[in-house]
Amino acid sequence: MSMTTAISRRRFLSTAANAGLVTAVSAPFYIRPGRARAAAGLADGMVGGPTGFDGAERYQYGPDTPEARAIEAVNALKGAGKAPDRIVLGLSDGSIGQLTQPFPAGAPSIKELWEAETGITLDIVGVPNGQEFTKVMQDVSTKGGAFDIYAVEWNRLGDLAETGGIVNLDDYVAAHRPEWDNAERGYVGGAQGVSLLNNYRGSTYGVSLDGDFQIWNHRTDLFSDPAEQKAFADKHGYELAPPRTWKQHDEIAAFFHRPDKGLFGSTDLRNQGWGYTNWYQRFVSMASPNQFLFADDGSALINSEAGISATQEYVDSLAHHSPDAISWGWPEQYGNFASGGAAMTCAFSNLPKFLDNAGNEGSKVTGLVGSHLPPGREIDGSLIRRTVLWLNLSASVSSQSKHPEASYLLLQWLGSSRIYSWMTANPGGYFDPFQLSNFADPLVRQTYHDYHMDVVRESVARTVPTINYPGATAFHNALDENLVAALTGSKTAAEAMADTEKQWARVARRIGEDKLVEAIKANKAAWPTITDPIG
Amino acid sequence: MTVAALDTRTEAMEHEDARDSRKLGFWLTLPAQLLVLFIAVFPILMQVYISLTDWSPLDGIDWWQAHQLWNTFANYTDLLEDNRFWSALGRTALVMAICVPCEFLLGLGLAILFVDNFPGRRFLYSVLLVPMMVVPAVAGYMFFMLFQSGGPVNDILSFFTGSPVRIAWLSDPDLALFAVIVSDIWQWTPLMFLILLAGLVGVPEDQLRAATLLGASWTTRFITIVLPRMKTIIIIALAIRVIENFKVFDNFYIMTGGGPGVATETISIYIYKVTQQELIWGYVAAVALVILITLSVVSAYAIKRMSRSRELSR
Amino acid sequence: MNRSLPFEIFRYAAILSLVALSLVPTLWMASMAFKPIAEWSATGADLTWWPKSPTLDNFRFLFGESSSELIVALDRTAGQPILSSLLSAVFGTLIAMISGTSAAYGLSRFGSGGNLPLALIQLRIFPPMAVMIPVMIMWAFLGLIDTWYGLALVYGIVTMPFAFWLMKTFFDDMPREIEDAALVEGCSRLRVFWKITLPMMRPALASSALFVFILNWSDYLIALLLTTRDWVTIPVYMASLSSSMTGQLYGAKAALGLIAAIPPVILGIAIQKHLVRGLTFGALKQ
Repeated sequence: MSMTTAISRRRFLSTAANAGLVTAVSAPFYIRPGRARAAAGLADGMVGGPTGFDGAERYQYGPDTPEARAIEAVNALKGAGKAPDRIVLGLSDGSIGQLTQPFPAGAPSIKELWEAETGITLDIVGVPNGQEFTKVMQDVSTKGGAFDIYAVEWNRLGDLAETGGIVNLDDYVAAHRPEWDNAERGYVGGAQGVSLLNNYRGSTYGVSLDGDFQIWNHRTDLFSDPAEQKAFADKHGYELAPPRTWKQHDEIAAFFHRPDKGLFGSTDLRNQGWGYTNWYQRFVSMASPNQFLFADDGSALINSEAGISATQEYVDSLAHHSPDAISWGWPEQYGNFASGGAAMTCAFSNLPKFLDNAGNEGSKVTGLVGSHLPPGREIDGSLIRRTVLWLNLSASVSSQSKHPEASYLLLQWLGSSRIYSWMTANPGGYFDPFQLSNFADPLVRQTYHDYHMDVVRESVARTVPTINYPGATAFHNALDENLVAALTGSKTAAEAMADTEKQWARVARRIGEDKLVEAIKANKAAWPTITDPIG
Repeated sequence: MTVAALDTRTEAMEHEDARDSRKLGFWLTLPAQLLVLFIAVFPILMQVYISLTDWSPLDGIDWWQAHQLWNTFANYTDLLEDNRFWSALGRTALVMAICVPCEFLLGLGLAILFVDNFPGRRFLYSVLLVPMMVVPAVAGYMFFMLFQSGGPVNDILSFFTGSPVRIAWLSDPDLALFAVIVSDIWQWTPLMFLILLAGLVGVPEDQLRAATLLGASWTTRFITIVLPRMKTIIIIALAIRVIENFKVFDNFYIMTGGGPGVATETISIYIYKVTQQELIWGYVAAVALVILITLSVVSAYAIKRMSRSRELSR
Repeated sequence: MNRSLPFEIFRYAAILSLVALSLVPTLWMASMAFKPIAEWSATGADLTWWPKSPTLDNFRFLFGESSSELIVALDRTAGQPILSSLLSAVFGTLIAMISGTSAAYGLSRFGSGGNLPLALIQLRIFPPMAVMIPVMIMWAFLGLIDTWYGLALVYGIVTMPFAFWLMKTFFDDMPREIEDAALVEGCSRLRVFWKITLPMMRPALASSALFVFILNWSDYLIALLLTTRDWVTIPVYMASLSSSMTGQLYGAKAALGLIAAIPPVILGIAIQKHLVRGLTFGALKQ
């Protein structure tokens, strides 16, 4: 039975990893760990990194790389007696596997490698999904000191920095040079990208560990079925293919919507807390190159024709969703897609990694998943296709940590292109690719699939950042609340937008308009300008 | 011992005994008093203090420095205009007004059916108590699944109606409220049943038999003999459910998160969301104090009424 | 009361239909616990009532052995949360019963603590969420966050009103003559309480303890806010049972739900003979 094979394979994996670890740590004490490992199979010129599998050299690092500098600096701190015995990292439950499960066969886990190279225990504390910010705020406000490192949604970085609960990392960044903006391996968009993901008001407060770009997926078996193609072409007069415009999207979704056969047209989320990201996509593509949420003076732009018609579309599209759409979160969405219950959906970029995965016994869509760019609108002779960046776990050092520098160094090591590529390739968790080196990496491409990786890279270029400045939570809650009211029919699209505008004005007052205007400008600088040709 | 001797002895000891009793009473109630003070003093003082400020953990100052954000009574005046709060309060009352009577009537009906012996009584009685043993959070997950549009509830309805039923219970504001109410009734009717059955069993047989011989109908016996005897126990059963139902959170929150929109947002869920998502803790403190004061008045009145009726029934 | 045939038919019909209704959720949970992933059908189209190929995978998974290594990385098995729930609920129940019972006796016999009835009702009716911020700050200050005893303490306090009120009704209605007789014999007050009163109260104590235990055992909200990792309880732990592969791990949740029902059921069976007598709240003086 497949179950037994899976177990034995797992046992084999963990034994192999343990054996590797034992070799690594049982080396004589006076040899520095890095050198002890070199003997255990590092490629020429490398000073550290994983070993024990084909292609491991891609994730190993030579001297004077961000990873090597981090390890060296940690060991120097240790020598000076300034390093801790353990670093406590709070992390979403579902992501822990990427740090603790060895991948691929023969490799150590990230945790084992870090501990072998530095001798500092990495203590990972699981936080239930969706509770990350709650747990962090508890720790900050009670001075609990339970964590050295917090990992929260990137949207909250501004809010969190304002609490004083996280450390300004500027000095450490200057001292240890993480090279996040490296043109070949670093963040998409170079320094601009770094500023978007890691900075708040010009200072570094976080280290991005995720790439939560919302990406569209469809079922290739349905789209390539000749009978479906013919029926669709007969009905709509154009060929069945992944949609390029919202109009096409809605028509295709309606075409495939067969609830009595257990198939829904599209299951991009509509629930409270998540659904509004799909409203964003429809709204920001309303103008060329972008329909912004706020004008430069900080006034809201949503209570407008664009806002109302995006909202109306968003509500009307319920017709080709599951009847339960308003109560579904991503667990239901993923579960449904895995069971073959939807023709299209929009999800985190990891959907194919989890559901188009031979190791996932629960998935009925393995080998049947395709990806496509977000639908768009034809404006002024070009096609505006936009998606959003939202959630995106990023790690920050707690102000209560007694060892902020060592904690930062762990993050520099973890978030640098080599180790991160290796980590994101591991199918055991939620961390997704976002650096140039990740998209090019063969192992990442294998986990995430070639067909998907290129679409992700292109979608990233068309990605609008959601609100990431102070008040992000309050702004999004107000929008969210009104959108749900529109979905359930208790408000019209126009009422929902008008009420959102009112609530936003209140939030803005509380935050302070000056602070806000500055942050809105910084956020806008990261919006894409790329447009596509029509047809 | 003669009566006179006993009297002298008692009188002699009375004084000392009363002092001992007071002392003993003091020591017996001390742990409870301390625990109450422990949980009440600091939280109430802190709530009063921050309720007069705009303090939020997002401000980056510690709570004891909240006076920097002094806003006098702004939180309280905001509260008056906070429709979401008032509708959550109203919804909590509505849920209570539906759940508690349903649980009571179902529990009473079952108790009446179970009061005398019949084959299978013991077994069925145990089976009926099962929902009480299920952790409400677990019940929340199970009811979420039961009420999916392709889920068991619709499957059963389809079976009885003969045509496929696809109601999206949790996505419709009214039906979602119905669904969470059903889960509460499911979970807590057994408790009502258990308490009321205990009360019924305790009604003395001989009185009932006498009444039957006098030709009283079942209904008459129930109203004139059984109900008066059970008055206190019914009050207690209702009080327990009113108190617990007012705070309902677990299964509601897991089933719907208070949604869609605010359709199933009870007062506990409202406070939870404002605390955890909007983080306006000064305001939350004002909300908490208003609730505390209201509840104190209501429960003081209820206790007074209850002890008076107890006195009267003696 | 009534023994006619139509009544008997009605009785069975009514009871059986209510029993059937009340069993649906429980049976759904029980069958879910033994279903493999393919049959969970939480969001899919085809509904499976009974496991077609029953499996113990869900239980194995909870204790660290997974049939599919990729489902989710459990950084902790269900063992510690079960222990945490047991310790906090048992000790919380002890705190509540001891302080509640003695206070009830003190008030009922000696009139001490006249403020307690109202104070305790307020304590019980007040939504815990509304004071959780100060309590969190207090607990953090005292180093009680994420400890089982910190949780047991708060459980003991919030369920004490239950113990107090239930026991008070019994003490109020217990005939004083028995105690007085013993006093005349020369026993001390405390000895009377210990040797005579408490044993008489056994049914009341047992059923009150069962309720207090169930309340503590059920809590989700307080544990959610006062624990972070080592001592999360079963309901909190349950929230972490989801994965990107399959969404919510309903099978594992149901399996844990079944396990979580065991302690109250055992307790219920153990005190069954006291249950009905213990629940009259002494309110049926003859």
